[in-house]
Amino acid sequence: MSAARAQPISTRPQDLPVKGSLPRLRVAYEKGERLAYLGHLEVLTTMERSLRRSGLPVSLGNGFARRMRVQFSQALPVGASSACEYLDVRLEERVDVDEALERLVRATPPALAPLRAAYVCRDLPALEAWLNRADWAVELGPLCPAQELLDAIEAVRLQGEVRYLRGDKEKVVDVAGALVGASVAERDGGLSLVIETRSTPGGSLRPQVLVDAALRSMGLPPADAPRVRRVRQAHEEDGCLVEPFGPMEQAARAPLS
Amino acid sequence: MRARRENLFGLIEPLLAHVERPSRYLDHEWGAHAEQDGPFHLCMVYADVYEVGQPNLGMAILYETVNAQEGMSCERCYLPWRDMALLMRERGVPLLSLEAAAPLASFDAIGFTLAHELIATNVLEALDLAGIALTSDERDEDDPIILAGGPSAWNCEPLSPVFDAVLLGDGEESIVEACACIRDARAEGVSRAETLRRLARVPGTYVPSLYDVVTDETTTRWGRAVPRAGEDVPEVVYKRCVRDLSATEPVAQRIVPYLGVVQDRLSLEVLRGCARGCRFCQAGMTYRPVRERPADQVVEAAGRALAASGYDEVSLSSLSTTDHSQCALIVRRLNEELGPRGVKVSIPSQRLDSFGVEMAAAAAGGRRGGLTFAPEAGSQRLRDVINKNVTDDDLERAARNAFEAGWRRCKLYFMIGLPTETDEDVVGIARMAERVLEIGREVVGRGPKSGVSVSISVAVLVPKSFTPFQWAAQLEPDEVRRRQQLLLHEVRDRAIRVSYHDADVSLVEGALSKMGRAGFALVREAWARGCKFDAWTSEFRFDLWQAAAAACGLDLADVACEEFPLSAALPWEHTSPGVDKGYLQREWLRSARGVTTPDCTRASCTGCGVCPTLGARNVTWGDRS
Repeated sequence: MSAARAQPISTRPQDLPVKGSLPRLRVAYEKGERLAYLGHLEVLTTMERSLRRSGLPVSLGNGFARRMRVQFSQALPVGASSACEYLDVRLEERVDVDEALERLVRATPPALAPLRAAYVCRDLPALEAWLNRADWAVELGPLCPAQELLDAIEAVRLQGEVRYLRGDKEKVVDVAGALVGASVAERDGGLSLVIETRSTPGGSLRPQVLVDAALRSMGLPPADAPRVRRVRQAHEEDGCLVEPFGPMEQAARAPLS
Repeated sequence: MRARRENLFGLIEPLLAHVERPSRYLDHEWGAHAEQDGPFHLCMVYADVYEVGQPNLGMAILYETVNAQEGMSCERCYLPWRDMALLMRERGVPLLSLEAAAPLASFDAIGFTLAHELIATNVLEALDLAGIALTSDERDEDDPIILAGGPSAWNCEPLSPVFDAVLLGDGEESIVEACACIRDARAEGVSRAETLRRLARVPGTYVPSLYDVVTDETTTRWGRAVPRAGEDVPEVVYKRCVRDLSATEPVAQRIVPYLGVVQDRLSLEVLRGCARGCRFCQAGMTYRPVRERPADQVVEAAGRALAASGYDEVSLSSLSTTDHSQCALIVRRLNEELGPRGVKVSIPSQRLDSFGVEMAAAAAGGRRGGLTFAPEAGSQRLRDVINKNVTDDDLERAARNAFEAGWRRCKLYFMIGLPTETDEDVVGIARMAERVLEIGREVVGRGPKSGVSVSISVAVLVPKSFTPFQWAAQLEPDEVRRRQQLLLHEVRDRAIRVSYHDADVSLVEGALSKMGRAGFALVREAWARGCKFDAWTSEFRFDLWQAAAAACGLDLADVACEEFPLSAALPWEHTSPGVDKGYLQREWLRSARGVTTPDCTRASCTGCGVCPTLGARNVTWGDRS
């Protein structure tokens, strides 16, 4: 660890750095397919340790436990890989973006490789709430004709909500609000599905929940370990989609509803 | 027949969606050796789940040592949990290594860490899942050579038919020599039997198949192992000992796990060995002599390893860290250098005196969780019997210091079933806990919000090989339960919580600690009946162990609770950690008279025989107070 990381604990709370005043570095990273079965908390711990290894001057909270000031985008389901995970970290001082990215890449397991970094506005809302749109790619076996699956998904959406078991707990998700769009193609002897979702106060829609509900409505068993990948995350505001690193000019696709 | 070396992760991947904690099976952690080119391939196996095995320091040391060798690769393997094992068997997927996802049966050699006795059935489970014959004599010419080592190798006889060779003592040098020996023998095309003979010539290596068990009037019913006629092997295999610990790399743990493991922090071995001479303690006898790392090395290693790993906590590991002659210096320097960065320092074992509390306070910073002490016995008389050289005054002072320093919860470790123990000693445990509680209330206050509490954890003595209590009988399980109940009834204050070890688990551990080679039949039978993960309370099946014992014509209590004559040749005496039998006998007799023996790092030599036998000596870097 470099000496630059030392952050003396002042006895006067008013002298401690305040989060809002610190540079906010946004980092995009992937979750490779080999590590698809890492849990969300495991990814968080690993990225925090990568930040420590990188030697970047990560700011520590002023609380008793002195945790890092880092925030993550929404949890990925266990079993899903991703091309677009994000974290925001507060640094004690500005470090050149290219250098910061390079240091992070060197300190992170290759299957969670950081892809891009940039400083973002210090007072944006927390990532988890801000990135409220996600696109998913799902690879399935040749379970049924593509159009039938698409029709079944539409039928599930029209039902409004889906109930499913997670462990022993029954969960309900508002599919009508959460499903923005879906498309299916037949490819390499299987089905290639793209699902666009929005997280709502009614919850987030996990792709496998949607697919299983659609298959169930067709009288088919759940898909066994489909390959799920988050391929895009964005912020939706006033009918516009904002990319995680900006700019804010792209219009949002009109919801199916 | 050796399996083909190939990456079979594709067979495991479809199973991941159906098992608990799939990250156990993923590999690709930070610090794992991805390059596994060999051409010599070793796989180290800790036969329990990933989160239990991964923090094991011994395995980490050997993993790094072998991978640092030119032409040698070392991978890891942990035992899949029941759900995964079931799916693997259903679908015909063999046990794979983590790094290359290669079948275990494709390796040149496999090394098992014997961390404790209750891992025995898991060793068989691992071999069976790997499709490797369970015993040495059932294996084919080209099968992997099965090695073992670790703290519980000191009575490896009940598992000895499994192992082609057992590496005794410190493994960082001998594992490389053993691997080189196997590699060269394979290159020369020599037979498996001849390879094992060559292994027996590597110092510290015990090759069970070259020894016969002889039972006569000089032995116990388990007999003793003697060199097989015509085999040129030593009568006694002495352990290996790294004389200068400071000449070895202090950072052993380089892999940073994804999932929360049982010790999720950086662990640095600051010293090896302990000379306090507690008469029940196997590690205290088998890891001698005491070898400290110098403070400078520990501090430098901590900074380097924290930066390389990204951990925010470092644990100073050893059998008794507060005994390190530079402990205060190390903790102070680590706090100065790492504290401002949010790094925590922890010391796992507390000495029962004010220095112990001082160090705990220094390590804890502002945190005050529970503070743990191990008086081990409830009366001064019994503490003298076990050579736990602490007095009631020591405990009271330590407790007072701890409460004054801000702690509110105190945990005390005790054992029952110690030789000469009476009901008075058991009741003494309750009185001691009450005394500590009373001190806490005196210091902190008596109100309901003072939060002062004491918990006591009571283990059952399992007499272990190479300790002065190796001749002792384990306490009968019914009597264990009676004394546990006696203790429970004596504890009247609700601020004292009592927990105790299961008498049945201790009985199985006792039987495994005491049996000779013939005990393998019991282990195999128990495994065949479904015993696995015996160290897990949720998985332990005493009924299956009892049935297995009955099928082998044994009674577990009869085995574990047998006292051995002081003059008898014991089942494990063909292996040796260097401690003289005469010393152990003297200690056993002194114990009966309640005479204590000092610590040779603080007083003069006590004649345990380790230094002259191994050509080693205690290494300390300052005065031990």
